[in-house]
Amino acid sequence: MRLPGTGNAADNPQERTPGDDPRQVPRAGNGRAPNVMRIGAWVPMRQYVDDDEVDFVIVGTGAGGGTLAAKLAEHGFTVAALDAGPYWRPLEDFASDEMHQSKLYWTDERIVDGENPLQLGSNNSGKSVGGSTVHFAMVSLRFRPDWFKARSLLGYGADWPLDWREMWDYYGEVEQTLKIAGPVTYPWGPKRSRYPYRAHELSASAKVLARGAEALGIAWTPTPIATLSAPRGDAPPCVYRGFCTLGCSTNAKQSVLNTWLPRALKAGAEIRDLAMVGRIETKHGRATGVHYHREGRWRFQRARNVVVAGYAIETPRLLLMSASSEFPDGLANSSGLVGRYLTVQGNQAVWGVFDEEIRSYKGPPSLAITEHWNYEDRGKDFSGGYCYMSQGPLPTLWGKTQATARGLWGEALVAEMQRYNHVAGLKVVSEYMPQARNRVTLAEETDQYRLPIARVTYSWCDNDRAMNRHALAFMRQALEAAGGREIWDQENDTCHLNGTARMGDDPRTSVVNADCRSWDIPNLWICDGSVFPTVGGVNPSLTIQAIACRTADRIKALAACGDLSGAASASPKRALAWAS
Amino acid sequence: MTWFAAGRPQHSGSGPRRHFHPRSDVANTNAAQRLNHGSTLLAASVLLDSGLEHYRGQYFNRAMYTPVLVSSAVLASSLHGAGDAGARSSRVRHAVQALAGLTGVVGLGFHAYNVGKREGGYRWENLFYAAPIGAPFALTLAGVLGGAAERVRDADPRDALLLGLPAGPLLAAGTALGLAGTVGEAGLLHFRGAYHNPAMFLPVSVPPLAGALLAWAAVRGSGRRPLTRGWLWATAALGLGGVGFHTYGISRKMGGWRNWSQNLLSGPPLPAPPAFTGLALAGLAALDLLERREHA
Repeated sequence: MRLPGTGNAADNPQERTPGDDPRQVPRAGNGRAPNVMRIGAWVPMRQYVDDDEVDFVIVGTGAGGGTLAAKLAEHGFTVAALDAGPYWRPLEDFASDEMHQSKLYWTDERIVDGENPLQLGSNNSGKSVGGSTVHFAMVSLRFRPDWFKARSLLGYGADWPLDWREMWDYYGEVEQTLKIAGPVTYPWGPKRSRYPYRAHELSASAKVLARGAEALGIAWTPTPIATLSAPRGDAPPCVYRGFCTLGCSTNAKQSVLNTWLPRALKAGAEIRDLAMVGRIETKHGRATGVHYHREGRWRFQRARNVVVAGYAIETPRLLLMSASSEFPDGLANSSGLVGRYLTVQGNQAVWGVFDEEIRSYKGPPSLAITEHWNYEDRGKDFSGGYCYMSQGPLPTLWGKTQATARGLWGEALVAEMQRYNHVAGLKVVSEYMPQARNRVTLAEETDQYRLPIARVTYSWCDNDRAMNRHALAFMRQALEAAGGREIWDQENDTCHLNGTARMGDDPRTSVVNADCRSWDIPNLWICDGSVFPTVGGVNPSLTIQAIACRTADRIKALAACGDLSGAASASPKRALAWAS
Repeated sequence: MTWFAAGRPQHSGSGPRRHFHPRSDVANTNAAQRLNHGSTLLAASVLLDSGLEHYRGQYFNRAMYTPVLVSSAVLASSLHGAGDAGARSSRVRHAVQALAGLTGVVGLGFHAYNVGKREGGYRWENLFYAAPIGAPFALTLAGVLGGAAERVRDADPRDALLLGLPAGPLLAAGTALGLAGTVGEAGLLHFRGAYHNPAMFLPVSVPPLAGALLAWAAVRGSGRRPLTRGWLWATAALGLGGVGFHTYGISRKMGGWRNWSQNLLSGPPLPAPPAFTGLALAGLAALDLLERREHA
């Protein structure tokens, strides 16, 4: 009954996994790109030659770049979106195997240092068409409105140049696009429209969170999450297989790869996989295009506008690597802030053993959440906020956590692993403070493209430590109240990268303005998590996409009144003519 | 199935002629048989639905066998009634139907308890995913319709009474209420599915109108009602068509029908929609009685 080609490869023994390796040979080309929703299928793709001056070349196709590519193409601009990662076919390429799926992470060489060096990879770094959203945990939360004016209203960090009411509208647009499954009514913050899909059933680990929160008298809710709770087009609803942070092989996960990018292709954008951009070319104070490495050689794509959307490490790296005689300190860096204010989020956890069977790996890791400490400022000895949510580590990750965070080995490790099905935990996403000393710079060493690798320097400040203490103590109480025993703290974990090209109202203290347009180079834009001046206490993906939607609309408006400096002009007919 | 069971009027057959109640009337028997058809469909729906859903719940509580056993008994009883063109009620059938009515109410209590004991209590998400709170009431409705069939069967044809009230209007009102409950259940679960397919609006638009017309008929109680009859038939058709929609719904789960053993349990419930057909048939029986009463 189901249409052929819409299950996954494991579904039918006659279907085969593709013979090509998307990490070696690009899949997008010859006028077509993979149809990620169907096995072995393709969709037509418009293509540009390097000498075509496209309206926008976008570097990166994740939450920022992919969203922007779709919206700009739909607004009628010519768009070429380049990504260093492979073009996966989720139904065919994603095995239910933790080790195999580590292919989704950006594990190219980088140097980490500082007092609290970051662990890069699974938790914060993706290398795929679709970016980190291919392996993100799908938690889709809105910022607390006050955070957009954190300096003025709450007394810490920096003010955003954005108005929360405008953002509220764009959040709504993204939630509709991703068909977020969320609670019927959300307990915190100003009124929001109903989530497009209903919340998923709570897993046992989510129920642990709910029990703990109820015992402590704080509100909790099913997590608004970007995996389907009802069918949508070719995508089936979630089957609770639990490999969410390792790539969803059923397409129930609403990543950029299977939502925005199919829209981008339909509207006439070109997507180039395995295209590593090494340098942005500038002339007379304007960007003219990008040098990129693809199929074994360096090429140059001309463009009227360049958008950098490489996330908080690769974005400053590219801007710094593009230094020229005209811009000796790197592009968009007159403020000296490119690479500075790298701000991650806390990801500490408490874990405990329960009498009943939990099997927390079943289903999306986070199906229940509390934002209590994002909206309650009384009783805090620190600035900022945090939410915490239920967790579902898969066995290999769990074993690794035991060995590294807890130092268990040998018999002790085996004994602990035997209790795996009875373990539940609570994990925080907390707001660390932006600090100028936390930064991304270029190292002496070079990578496989002979480009200097990034050095990522990171240290906690006292406020961050106070937040960690508060969160761990509170979550411990909650876990105990829910019936947890032998509770231990996982103290040293972080997630999500932001900052490094912050937005603001003042060119001296920010890299881009509210439209994500660089102050220094009028046709250079930055559209990803690097523009965040502060990070808030929620996962950033929804906000990145909302900003991208806003940026696209602003670019359209600017083009309409001739304010793209004679660069691009919206011409919807062009794209429509091609699509037909 | 019920149509086969209904068969030809058996009193014209070759078997031993039954004893007829002196006040028997063919119209009453027909209405009773139609009520039995409704009861049969409801019971079949409950049997298959609770069978599947409780299987999914692995019968972790022995009480979960109850609706399977009781609905089987009602099904047999109503099938027997549907095939019985005689004008005398059966005590055995009557007792079975009463038991079913009671079981449904107890089940309702069980399910309501199940929802409330979950984390968060009576909140939307628990109504979506805990035991479906209204489902057991379908068994009560099956029992009530079956019981009504027995009463109507040997009632005075000119003035059939139920619980001391005129059977036609009472059955019409009762069926309208039953439709309202079933619409509520479908509405809740389709809300859980976010009405992702426009067809999901059908069961919350066609049957409510039929129910409203039926309730109006119960109040007014006079004149022929072709419109009401038409909407009731549309509701009956919708109940059967719903099986088709749900078949399609299962195909949209991961793996589709190839993975039937899983998707039959997690997809939209195949046996649920015919409950509308069962109630629509009961509504038609009520209309028969109403019109009969007016012509009597």
